[in-house]
Amino acid sequence: MIRVDISKCTGCKRCEAACAFFRSGRINSHISRIKALNLYEIGIDGAVVCNQCKERYCDCCPENAITTGSLGEVVISQTLCTLCGICKKACPIGAIEIFNDFVYVCDLCGGRPRCVEACKEGAITHDVEEALRPSLSAFRKETKKMNPSQKQYFYLKKLGLEERKRWRKNRA
Amino acid sequence: MLKYGYGGRILRIDLTERRCCIEPLDSSWIKPVIGGRAANTKRIFEELSPDCDALEPDNILIFGIGPLTGSLLPASAYYTVTAKSPLTGILGDSAAGGQFAAEMKLTGFVQIIITGKADNLLYLMVTESGVEFVDCPKFKGKTIIETTQAIREEKKDYSIQVAAIGPAGENLVLFSSIVSSGNRVNGRAGMGAVMGSKNLKALAVRGTLSLELADPLAFLTEVEKIEKSILSHNEYQKRYKMGTTMLMKDLNNIGILPTKHFQEGVCKYVDEISGQKLAKSYKVKNKACFNCHLPCSRYYVIDDHEAEGPEFETLCSFTSRLGNRNLPFALEMNAYLNQMGMDSISTGEVIGWIIECQEKGLIHPDDLDGLSITWGEADKIREVVDMITWRRGIGDKLANGAKRLSRSFSEEARKLVMHVKGLDMICGDPRGIKAYGLTYAIASRGSDHLRAEPYFELTNRKEEAKRRFGTEKAADRLAEEGKAALVAHSEKIALLTDSLTMCKNIGLCMDILNFENTSALLKAGTGIVYSPEYLKKIMGDSIDLDFKLNRRFGTKREDDTLPERFQKEPLSEGPTKGSTVDIKRMVDEYYKIHKWEG
Repeated sequence: MIRVDISKCTGCKRCEAACAFFRSGRINSHISRIKALNLYEIGIDGAVVCNQCKERYCDCCPENAITTGSLGEVVISQTLCTLCGICKKACPIGAIEIFNDFVYVCDLCGGRPRCVEACKEGAITHDVEEALRPSLSAFRKETKKMNPSQKQYFYLKKLGLEERKRWRKNRA
Repeated sequence: MLKYGYGGRILRIDLTERRCCIEPLDSSWIKPVIGGRAANTKRIFEELSPDCDALEPDNILIFGIGPLTGSLLPASAYYTVTAKSPLTGILGDSAAGGQFAAEMKLTGFVQIIITGKADNLLYLMVTESGVEFVDCPKFKGKTIIETTQAIREEKKDYSIQVAAIGPAGENLVLFSSIVSSGNRVNGRAGMGAVMGSKNLKALAVRGTLSLELADPLAFLTEVEKIEKSILSHNEYQKRYKMGTTMLMKDLNNIGILPTKHFQEGVCKYVDEISGQKLAKSYKVKNKACFNCHLPCSRYYVIDDHEAEGPEFETLCSFTSRLGNRNLPFALEMNAYLNQMGMDSISTGEVIGWIIECQEKGLIHPDDLDGLSITWGEADKIREVVDMITWRRGIGDKLANGAKRLSRSFSEEARKLVMHVKGLDMICGDPRGIKAYGLTYAIASRGSDHLRAEPYFELTNRKEEAKRRFGTEKAADRLAEEGKAALVAHSEKIALLTDSLTMCKNIGLCMDILNFENTSALLKAGTGIVYSPEYLKKIMGDSIDLDFKLNRRFGTKREDDTLPERFQKEPLSEGPTKGSTVDIKRMVDEYYKIHKWEG
């Protein structure tokens, strides 16, 4: 899975730009599988990407278009997919986007994630250990009625408020 | 039709009629100006009536980006806002980095051109399909971040980027700014007041169009070369740690750190207000513009205040320039000015000028509604800044800027305003950096270093100076010789950087961008062939256009000068002791190079 350490994030969006560029030859945040956000009101920057969560909330596809790959990544069969949007709704952190009739979610670039290479701050790492996969059940309840952007924001804000406590503590 | 790099369209918005119009961008129109600042100037030259009042509806406010904005080119994150300046009455523009420009790129509009005046406070939500006019009287008085957050919540989209004005812009403070990405400031020449005069609280952007390049692989190859030269640059670590605030000590070390309103060039307590001190005591993390791997901006936390920044100009403007050794106070002011939307340089100048004049007995407190203020008086400074923001009491007069305010005082007092063409001078004493002095004098928006940023004169590269400019003196900061040639070269690279639109700290100060690599980047990016010679020529033509435009606005050759202090009064101590600027000599040489008459 891709892990994002928001304490190192500068908000530059190199991860997002590289994701779109190296996968599609274009730049557009909607086709990026990692979403970088700047939360100006709390001074926090971060990126949201598939956490390969323990619960696998997106694995509820009525067409069986979603499977799990060898690296634990979400694999979407674009031929079976009917663009119903159920997976997008199910993801508690807004890591799935449907744009121009295509489902975008992190697939680890086949094992060499471009976002990891693009981040010069070392804020993004690729962790293969299965035991570290997080549970998103706490977010699931709270973000159920939100759109993906609101979910991304909610998720990063929660992490950000913890990070802010560390700032104050380190300064004290 | 422009397919690659450029979005290929412009958006015109008439606020009076609440109408918009999408026009295709003609490649023959944009090619000779590339984009960004040069394209904005051309638009103003073609469409603005020169005698319009800057705060009336017929002034034109342009947000412009370039062909490589938001691409993988590092720090290709800038946008330029251009209009007739209410502060100076001539060409006004101001650029900012952050995330706004890259998001604007995805709307497909190279320029957003705003005219008219709304009947009610509103914001514009621009997407690829055009604009939505959203009334927002409830946003009146909101800070930049409050406005940004309110728009994102209203639209339920947290990737929206917003360029807004604060209370200062709403109150038409003549040096108010536009601020995007929370703390990224189009600070100079009063662009915020132009926006305020149109009843426009904010411009929000969110796009879905892809940026496509003509030859992505060739582009990537060029980008990788540039990334490498940035990473291996000898200033990388220093800039990473402190950003532009490194200049506090750097300038002090050569005796040109403006202290007590340019009366001194050496600040004895520099260690208390330096970039080093700031990084060590208050910085919590680095911040970056879009796609930049030299994250030179910083976020700081201090007591009840936190913000991004400050950049050197703000830090110096509110420390040594005002005789203030209290760093936490300067950080408080940075946060306040960013959120109220007011230029720190011009705000610092009007206060510094009053302090010096009162010290010299040229202005009596009774002349200023009882205001009596001296060096480093934090509580008074805070109060005055607040009065300016809201145009309260005497703040109403101060909000018109130091030059206008000085008209009610003696000639001696008027001479002490540190400005050129009505724009307040930046922090860097020209007596010890002559090429900068020339740049302040000739800059087309008034006193400013960014028009040429001749950082080369500080790099001590004598052989390189001889090769490039015909004399080793071009690398001697105290010499006038060779500086016109240096500035005439450097201003082209500065404009090139602004037109692409890249960051000048990287593109220019770090000597990264040149005509050759820009030619390769533009060809791979846009598919349009720009030879290095052609680039050189069109940048020269664009600088001529700036000149012609300002002549229309009424500038004269004698306006290209420096305040008398720098020509006649030498500094009394430090490494720049004894030096004054022979500005006429440099301006004459500069005009000769340009073949400009009168």
